[in-house]
Amino acid sequence: MAEDTEQPVVERRGFLPIETNAFDRVFIAVLLFVALHLFWMRLVESVLPLGVATVLSLILGAIIVARG
Amino acid sequence: MRWNSVGWLFLAPTLLILFVFGVVPFLYVLVIGFTQWNSFAANPDMQFAGVENFRRLVFDDQFLYSLWLTLKFAFFAVVSEIVLGYFLAQLFMRDFPGKGLFRTIHTLPLVIAPIAVGATWRLLTVPGLGPLPYYLNRWFGYEFNISRYIDQAFFTTVVMDVWHWTPLVTLTLLAALSSLPKEPFEQAQIDGANRFQIFWHITLPLLKPAILATVFIRMMDALRTVDEVWMLTGGGPGAATRYIGLHIWRVVFPKTDYGYGSAMSLITLYLTIVMCWMLYAGLVARRDLKRAD
Repeated sequence: MAEDTEQPVVERRGFLPIETNAFDRVFIAVLLFVALHLFWMRLVESVLPLGVATVLSLILGAIIVARG
Repeated sequence: MRWNSVGWLFLAPTLLILFVFGVVPFLYVLVIGFTQWNSFAANPDMQFAGVENFRRLVFDDQFLYSLWLTLKFAFFAVVSEIVLGYFLAQLFMRDFPGKGLFRTIHTLPLVIAPIAVGATWRLLTVPGLGPLPYYLNRWFGYEFNISRYIDQAFFTTVVMDVWHWTPLVTLTLLAALSSLPKEPFEQAQIDGANRFQIFWHITLPLLKPAILATVFIRMMDALRTVDEVWMLTGGGPGAATRYIGLHIWRVVFPKTDYGYGSAMSLITLYLTIVMCWMLYAGLVARRDLKRAD
């Protein structure tokens, strides 16, 4: 059955210092994904391959989306 | 969920235009950013290069220097425009003789095309021809030469931007100041608050959304400034005013390195988004959260 009311955006407070909805958390995860890769390429890649940064940022992203 | 077909019908042209002129070019640049594509290279065809452009970019001193210059330019320009724009908006809140004429003249730079602004400032400041170097030298003995001194070139670009865009800030803050309620100010005066306390505890918090919106708009504009500066200094002397937009233009057009230029554009877009988001999160979201607590 069709509903007449729109679904509200669910905001919550996790370990991040601001209230976020799902889009905010995905957005923050993507920003961190890019930042971590750029940082890695500049400073760490000579020691550890870029794939490690990808795995780390995916784990970090999942944590932010789930608990942020 | 209700399907509002009439609403979507009205939205459709806007969404279509946004998709064609916003989303598609972005996706195109995103794809090119991961390729090696240079018309003058041994192999001029587009080839997938993974993150190679981005790896090259984080070690490119010219790019990083341009980025630093752009951030410095944006900081000085936006802060000056907000402060000056606020004082001018406060001035326009009062009545004084010739206010209408002054407001009209003050708003004129807004309607001038950036390339014409650059040309005007070029004529004002070009050594041997412009009145600014001539009178600065004649009256103060000061050698003003933006083709020679990098600090002078940099701050001339900042002053030009401030001259061009402060009216926008003034108009935005004037509209915000005009719409403020009178009661909090009257109550503060009755309570014996001085002018600074009224400004700090009442005016500034009430103006915060307008200031923030203006800072966003001006910051995004300042980060992508090209035409004015290109006309005034051409990015020189040396690379002293080669802001990121000019640098990307040099890489994409004269050098035809489309892949690398696209990667630079993406990183510039990324930094703009990050800075705007951090500003929003730091100034709005965090304070709203404290208030909720």
